Amino acid sequence: MSDSTSAADELVYTRVFDAPRELVFRCMVEPEHLTHFWGPAGVSTPIETIKVDPRPGGRFETVMVNDADGSQYPTRAVFVEIAEPERLVWTEPDSGLITTSTFRDLGGSRTEVSIRQANVPAPYRTPEAQAGFATSLDRFAAYLATLS
Amino acid sequence: MTVVQEQLDSTFAALADPTRRAIVARLARGDATVNELAAPFAMTLPGISKHLKVLERCGLISRTRQAQFRPCHLERAALDSAASWIEESRRVWTERFDKLDEHLRDLQAKPSQDEATQ
Repeated sequence: MSDSTSAADELVYTRVFDAPRELVFRCMVEPEHLTHFWGPAGVSTPIETIKVDPRPGGRFETVMVNDADGSQYPTRAVFVEIAEPERLVWTEPDSGLITTSTFRDLGGSRTEVSIRQANVPAPYRTPEAQAGFATSLDRFAAYLATLS
Repeated sequence: MTVVQEQLDSTFAALADPTRRAIVARLARGDATVNELAAPFAMTLPGISKHLKVLERCGLISRTRQAQFRPCHLERAALDSAASWIEESRRVWTERFDKLDEHLRDLQAKPSQDEATQ
């Protein structure tokens, strides 16, 4: 199980799951699955708060609830691309954050999921700028490590 | 939220440039004047000043107005907010993946209604 990042881009998170690609994909778009894992540790996502309309322009909204104190973290996104079972792209209008999920069939009922997050203003969304952005974050993290 | 995100956008954009990253790294060791910052680079003072303006606009550095040489100062808080955004995002996805892994095991251990409808 490889966790989190590739060397070239600090904002790519990759994990291999022992499950067929179709099933893993459906977990990412169906509320009855999302409710089991969408909140991080100590945070629940009640199924009735999950709105998923899996088509371009369709909404993807959740409310994550802190188990300890009940604080709520609503998330609001809009789907940009749905290519079942390979690719899923959504954007968060409030922040401009773009999240691309890629599902790769490794054979033998194993699936690699990569989550790539891009958070750059439109003028910087060229491939060159993206590369620069990725390198920047990579070095930035290394640099930050030297500060502490 | 939006203001914070805008600040992060401009911080990341500012740090996408290698010269500006080098300037930030230099300032992490202490304040420096434009002349001192320009020394390691084959770049004119106006060239360096342009980079400093970008860093100043996104709040990564500040410059004293009154001092003759206007030394540049690294604003750690701006750097920290960018770093903590990355850390938070990484944590959320790592924990989400942990839970998804567990959920997929459960699903496949006992064939659920969900799979029966396939």
